[in-house]
Amino acid sequence: MNEQQFEKYNNIPAEKFAFASQGDKLHDKKLDTKAVSYARDSFRRFCKNKASVVAAIILGIIILFAIIVPMATGVDVDRVGVTEGFLPPKLFEAGTGFWDGTTSFSRIIYDVANETPAGKEARAVLNLVVDEEPTLINQASPFATGGYIMFENQSSNSSTTNVLSSDTFRVAVNGNYTVSIKFGNIDEVYGGKLGEYRIYLSGGEEHILLQDWSSDYSNVNINISSLLEQADVAVITNARIVFELKSAQGKYSYLLIASCVFSADESVGEDILERLETVGFTNPSHMALLAGEGGSVFPDGYWSCTGRKGVYACEVYYCDFDYDPYEVVYGETEVIYTKTDLDRFVANGWCEYSFDRSTAEITFTKLSENCPFDEILSVNTNYITGQLLDVTVLSHRYVALGYTSMPKYLFGTDPNGVDLFTRMFKGLRTSLLLGVATFAFCFMFGLVWGSISGYFGGTIDLAMERFCDILGGVPWIVVMTLCILHLGNNFGTFVLALCMTGWMGIAGLTRTQFYRFKHMEHVLAARTLGASDWRLIFKHILPNSLGTIITAAVFGIVNVIYSEATLAYLNLGLQGTTSFGVILSDHQQYLQSNSYLITIPSIVMTLLMISFNLFGNGLRDAINPALKGSEG
Amino acid sequence: MWKYILKRIGLALLTAIIILSLTFILIKLLPPQRFIGTPQQRTAYYNNEVRLGFLYSSETELEGVEYVDHLIYEDKTEIFYYKTPVMQQYISWIGNILTKWDWGTSQKIEPNVEVTVIMGARLLTSMKINILSVIVSVPLGIALGIWAALKKNKLTDHIISTAVMVLIALPGFVLITFLILLLSYKAGWLPPQWPSPTDTLAYRAKGYILPVFCLSLGSICGYCRSVRAELCEVMESEYLLLARTKGLTRGQSIIRHALKNAMVPIFPSIVAEFIGILGGSMILEQLYGIPGIGTLFIKSMNAQDYNVLFVDMAIFTTLGLLFGVLLDMSYGIIDPRIRMGAR
Repeated sequence: MNEQQFEKYNNIPAEKFAFASQGDKLHDKKLDTKAVSYARDSFRRFCKNKASVVAAIILGIIILFAIIVPMATGVDVDRVGVTEGFLPPKLFEAGTGFWDGTTSFSRIIYDVANETPAGKEARAVLNLVVDEEPTLINQASPFATGGYIMFENQSSNSSTTNVLSSDTFRVAVNGNYTVSIKFGNIDEVYGGKLGEYRIYLSGGEEHILLQDWSSDYSNVNINISSLLEQADVAVITNARIVFELKSAQGKYSYLLIASCVFSADESVGEDILERLETVGFTNPSHMALLAGEGGSVFPDGYWSCTGRKGVYACEVYYCDFDYDPYEVVYGETEVIYTKTDLDRFVANGWCEYSFDRSTAEITFTKLSENCPFDEILSVNTNYITGQLLDVTVLSHRYVALGYTSMPKYLFGTDPNGVDLFTRMFKGLRTSLLLGVATFAFCFMFGLVWGSISGYFGGTIDLAMERFCDILGGVPWIVVMTLCILHLGNNFGTFVLALCMTGWMGIAGLTRTQFYRFKHMEHVLAARTLGASDWRLIFKHILPNSLGTIITAAVFGIVNVIYSEATLAYLNLGLQGTTSFGVILSDHQQYLQSNSYLITIPSIVMTLLMISFNLFGNGLRDAINPALKGSEG
Repeated sequence: MWKYILKRIGLALLTAIIILSLTFILIKLLPPQRFIGTPQQRTAYYNNEVRLGFLYSSETELEGVEYVDHLIYEDKTEIFYYKTPVMQQYISWIGNILTKWDWGTSQKIEPNVEVTVIMGARLLTSMKINILSVIVSVPLGIALGIWAALKKNKLTDHIISTAVMVLIALPGFVLITFLILLLSYKAGWLPPQWPSPTDTLAYRAKGYILPVFCLSLGSICGYCRSVRAELCEVMESEYLLLARTKGLTRGQSIIRHALKNAMVPIFPSIVAEFIGILGGSMILEQLYGIPGIGTLFIKSMNAQDYNVLFVDMAIFTTLGLLFGVLLDMSYGIIDPRIRMGAR
């Protein structure tokens, strides 16, 4: 404004002046903007941190599951159904290849006769791929064909020979007894060499040479009867065929025999022919297994040997396939129902049947879909009275086990046949409960302790600090152990022991926070205005420090769950209750065979821990009052 | 400074005495376990307990008191053993330790062997692994932390930070189990179990790899995280800007100014991590079958061999307190501000 403008205002007459707000009362003006509450502001800031929000959502879902799942599914977690154990996780239908409840097997021996992988049920095999070419293995297998019996002479002394002999059988001049032997002509097996051999027939006193020392490894056919005639022996009842193997100089020698078949005219009688067939062999692998009692290979049975023996180059087919254990456990199979069951079905109106005792024939009509089977395959009757005992039917086993449809376990089943999904979340519930119970106590006690210690300071503080020092000096595992030894292993003991070590962290933190804030200007101002201790603590100090303390408490819950799991892993875990740690330690031993049992809980545990950490970090930033209103 | 150190040591000593006394009394309050073994072993054990003042013997059965055990000799003489009142046991215990350094004998783990003997070799094994893992983890953790801080908010930093976050959240026992499965059973590179002393030197040396790695992984993550946080804070400080303005290169300013200051809170955390490792090694020892004090703790707890358990607890407690003192002292040594402030 310049001089002239001021001139204008200099000459305003007095009557033109009036009081600006005469008659009005002066009030504080209401804020035009809407007040943002502390909670709302915290929430707004929390939402800005994307990672924390995601963590909170995951955490929420996990906790929700822990509450709902055990109630909703109604699975009895302590039930034992061993047949249903170890079913892999299944979400999609079998055969889709991912999360479908199947287990992949590779390099399993294929059972050619039954057209299924060895020892597996054909109906549960999927995506079977059998090798085009057979694989040669050097061990006996019930599913192998071909190959050789290999007997070895490992002696370097040239004069010794090794002997392989069959079990006894009967030979005679009459009857045209022959033996045909097929040798293997493969050199340099295991670095040895084919040895010279001779064959003779041994029977008590008699020794009849069938073939003198020879290196002919083609097929050998010998007419035993004619050789007996030459030796002037009529009959040998306990004959054995004996192979002698000469040792090779320097190297060890061996002989490979593919088959040894005895034959005779039919006139000798059926039992002798049968015996001859048993003594001889065409499949070395089968012979090796057959000879053993109780599964041992090559005992002194049909063929015994003074040296080492084994099978060599047997042909087996390997196959790769997916196996669906759900089909094995729940699939369609022959099930036996007793007459009581049958009568119950009739009483329920599911089916009708009539049984004719004289002919043991049953007529059956299915009336309702509830009836677990369509037709009766066979009946079993009491052989004296002719009464109906039970029937064999083709039915899905899940019906017999009490399910309405084929069960599907998202996370598989544990060794006891309990749904892992349910058991895990039930365990998680226990763990969370433990965490929350401990947290609640630690939080309250620690807050009070820390507030007193921090606010008043001086001698009280010193005494309380020393007490904490002593209690804090005891390692938590020692406290835990002493509590378990004195009070037994149960939920209460765990809460007590974890509280005893847990509250000091909160107390210490509260104390530090109080030290930090109690000399601040705003507290001083409040004190000057006459605020009481009570007001100072609850209105001016605690709200400022609460953020840090609550965050620490959230981490405290994580620590409790973690500690409990650690203890369980050390076999000191909660007994009689399923907790997360107990599940993990129970499944420890199946790490190699059924790794999903430990992988899935581990993943959930890790997810929980990460979520808790991220959530805690977000929470700390969000409820820090110093950041209120900031756009950080 | 010296006064401060002496005060800390004195306090720790006092704390140790109080804790050990309480632990001793709490353990001795438990009903004593019967000795299971040959008559000679039993006699030897009970006589030793009587000598230590934990039990007293009587040739006739006392009325109204429950005996711990009674032995019948071939000549039909009987001896009854009774539990001494706990406070009396406590006094004899202090006497035994002060005069003879006698901590009792083992009851079940290795019957009639001095607890100190059992503990000696195992403590050595545990310490070896723990110290090795500190040696491994400190340089690795700090290096990773520096790397992450220098590449702040770049891909390297994100990868390191995420890995650290996941590994810290991953429960230690899960990690150990999976590492044993992968490296030992599946790949076959490392022994699946702690090698026995009869194995070859190379095999035994290999046996250290997995435990040391498992133990150091947690610490590496811890160091990495704190070094990164500290360094990031220091990097934004004004004195570093000054260093750059006066003409130092980025490398010079980081090595001479930033690192030096960032290390102040790191060094004490090394000591703190060491205490943590001691606790964490219990699970590792159990899973890997390492004959250390952790395995012994679990074994004696399950067998209820209280003499061994007590000494093991005492070791854990004392080690914890000892490193606590070291931690406090390290603050004083490394940070001049604290050294000056503490009178």
